[in-house]
Amino acid sequence: MKRIDLLAGAALAIMLAACTTAEPVTTPELTTAELIEEEAGLEVTTHEGDFAQIQQFTTPGGVSVWLVSEPSIPILSVELAWEGGEASDPEGMEGLADAVVYHMNEGAGDLDSLGFQTRMEELNMSFGCSASNLWTSCSASMLTDNASDAMDLIAEAFEYPRFDEGPFQRFVREQQVSLNTRETNAGYLAWRAQAQALYPDHPFARETSADSIATLTPELAKAHMRKLMVKDRLLVTAVGAVTPEELAPMIDEIVANLPETSDLPDIPAIDYTAADTFGTFVVPLPQPQSLVQFVAPGIKRKDPEFFPAYVLNYTFGGGGFKSRLMDTLRVQKGLTYGVYTSLSFGEKFQSWNGGGQTKNESAGDFIAGLKEEMSKISEGGVTEEELADAKAYLIGSYPLAFDSNAKIAGQMMSVRQDELGVDYFDRRNTMVEAVTLDDVNAVAAEYLAPERFSFIVVGEPEGLE
Amino acid sequence: MKRILTGGLFALSAVLSTASADDTDWAPTTFSLDNGMVVVVVPDHRAPVVTHMVWYKVGAVDEASGKSGLAHLFEHIMFKETDDLGPGEFDDIVSRNGGVNNAFTSWDYTAYYERVAKQHLGTMMALEAERMTDLIINDDPEGPFISERDVVKEERRQRIDNNPGVILQEMVLSELWKGHPYEITVIGKMDEVAALTPEDGMAFYKEYYSPENAILVVAGDVTPEEVRVLAEEHYGRIKPTGTAHGNRKWESVPLLTETKELEYSDPKVRQPSWSRYYNGTSESRDREFSYALDVGLEVLGGGMTSRLYQSLVEEQNVAINVNTVAWTTLHDEGPVVINASPAPGVSLEDLETAAMTDLEAVLAEGFTDEEVERARNKLAASAIYARDSQSNMANVFGSTLALGGTVDDVLDYPDKIRAVTTEEALAAVRKVFGPDRHYIEAHLLPAEGDS
Repeated sequence: MKRIDLLAGAALAIMLAACTTAEPVTTPELTTAELIEEEAGLEVTTHEGDFAQIQQFTTPGGVSVWLVSEPSIPILSVELAWEGGEASDPEGMEGLADAVVYHMNEGAGDLDSLGFQTRMEELNMSFGCSASNLWTSCSASMLTDNASDAMDLIAEAFEYPRFDEGPFQRFVREQQVSLNTRETNAGYLAWRAQAQALYPDHPFARETSADSIATLTPELAKAHMRKLMVKDRLLVTAVGAVTPEELAPMIDEIVANLPETSDLPDIPAIDYTAADTFGTFVVPLPQPQSLVQFVAPGIKRKDPEFFPAYVLNYTFGGGGFKSRLMDTLRVQKGLTYGVYTSLSFGEKFQSWNGGGQTKNESAGDFIAGLKEEMSKISEGGVTEEELADAKAYLIGSYPLAFDSNAKIAGQMMSVRQDELGVDYFDRRNTMVEAVTLDDVNAVAAEYLAPERFSFIVVGEPEGLE
Repeated sequence: MKRILTGGLFALSAVLSTASADDTDWAPTTFSLDNGMVVVVVPDHRAPVVTHMVWYKVGAVDEASGKSGLAHLFEHIMFKETDDLGPGEFDDIVSRNGGVNNAFTSWDYTAYYERVAKQHLGTMMALEAERMTDLIINDDPEGPFISERDVVKEERRQRIDNNPGVILQEMVLSELWKGHPYEITVIGKMDEVAALTPEDGMAFYKEYYSPENAILVVAGDVTPEEVRVLAEEHYGRIKPTGTAHGNRKWESVPLLTETKELEYSDPKVRQPSWSRYYNGTSESRDREFSYALDVGLEVLGGGMTSRLYQSLVEEQNVAINVNTVAWTTLHDEGPVVINASPAPGVSLEDLETAAMTDLEAVLAEGFTDEEVERARNKLAASAIYARDSQSNMANVFGSTLALGGTVDDVLDYPDKIRAVTTEEALAAVRKVFGPDRHYIEAHLLPAEGDS
């Protein structure tokens, strides 16, 4: 399922949504005394990495945390993630996970939506949750000075979420608007065409509908929260001016009343081949440009071909100005402001995909140019110099991915979600360096031939064959 | 994607950001080179990387009549070729050093940057110094200048012409700024861009690109002394052209003298939207008033807790969204915008009536001290959060100085925001929405016959 923020101005509201049925207010079960007692035995393993010093520990409450202590700015970023997301919505109830995350900052305990939002402002903090196909995630940022109060509020959200009727009705109204606006959103239309062509029966192809939204209730969302947010699937990363001993009790306060575990349906992997492609597919949309997207079967993250593909992608279309597609279609021909390619390498779906926009009159030339580059690279491979350039950039630019607290917290979460290991950051450049010209050209020959790709064109394209 | 346009239609209100003035370990250092180039060093030692930026005090405001889009197209051309760097070689060298680079143009300034591991800072300076003095513009009528012009036309289609809401905003802003250099959007008019020539580019380069018209900002894992040595070596040797002048075409924006309504309908519009654009202010022209206005608009329509959101979205359920914002980070006065989108089944007329009734009621009734304090703290705290992004910090100092402001203007932001009183915030909002003020009203509508 794919959700898009269709109301530019409402993006914040969508992210921050909430609810109204008041619940009896109770006191949290964990007392401060208990927490202090438990934190004494915290065992912290420190990984002295090249890019980050990662402290790993399990809280007394059983939560595994990766922390980078960074004292130079008085802020703390915390990321929480649980495997299981929108694709776990029961069939016919699409939008249920979205409803859950919408309400997580819309009232808790004796605070209604306005009360909760006001309290966040008083603490100068942010907290919100989101769902993707396979993950449910929450992020919080706070000032170190009042991190304890901020964490208390987040704990309330997990322990006594309200799912009130008011925010729920607002969620429904926003969904109704989205159902309309997505029908003229070029990116959404392209996504739908791809999903319907390649995996029409898979949960990833399901969309919200007026009917599915009508089946949702605050009670269903609240019950589903207890399935998505459970202790045994929780991953936590944090970066900021805080020690493990300070952070552990705060995390335990958050998870104190989450269910131990839950059953979610298995999501099957999408199995498709180049033979499933449909050539070129046009979705009409009245606008001056055509959005051209292309997609072909790809490679898993843990496949031996992954690093060669990753390096090759830089030369093909991932390397900004220095990629072959940008050089040909933008710099030489002036056909587009930008064209890119990327790899999707999840366990359930892999693709080599890309896209760009060009005026309707030149859509045919643009696609012809793409196919020509695909033929060239799949038949002729890349040069030693291109390979060296790709490696030099990919290795040399890696430190830029670690220059902010938010980036480090996100990088650590990706490594945890993909189960790459705490030393992944240190090993990654070696794996890039080890890629050979033969590796890259074998992958190019196997994956980048133009006949493997489906082309989706949204707009009023001219000159298509 | 590269060559991004800021200060353009979507620059809305880039919220200022910085840090509190009470700790000094991250406070920037400034000095000047003998040739007039100003240098700002912003320490951030968390990672061994730097953000290197060169800001030129030239933008779309400085274009001659009929040459709209020149400042921005020229910025693209700066990546092409120099005496010592062949076509594309600038990007090659940056990439091979593991750097990312880009540039952006606004009405008020043009900035070029590289982000790279700190040991390559000198190389980045050598590259920027080279294109400050030795740019080559190929005048082949089928050459790179012409294909880049086509790229910019595609950029305009992608940013503006594909998007009905942006098309309407372009119409509104050209009314609001009629007769002012901001009247034409930064990327320019399609037909004027199509007519720009390599000679236009070279004349623009000679008039504006010179060290005394530039500001160097280096943020990251460096000391001021390291930067001074490298800057002297690479930029210090450049002689001022003598032709660069500081005469910007900035002028104060006069108040609207009549109220207008603009409507734009398009088959792509599936959700109508209602806006009013009033005359506002800018930090450069009136910093105190600008801060008071920011605080007041935060209370009025800044987020979910704001007065308008609570009434229109939460209580009356007539809007799906509402907000108020001031564009204060341009040099000259930008608009104050109130924008709302109707809930399903609500007409724009009913939404407008509800919004304006609420607005007038809040202005009459006034703000509470508590809500003003929350708004102040939220804006002031944004300065602390902003420190997490090295490039953001470089941008804040660079843009402030390019507009004629000072490092202290940035450092003092949290304290000055916290000093705004309830009365000042209210007075600012009352002034911009005053009964004597005219405005441009904009309706974005589905095409006739569409649902």
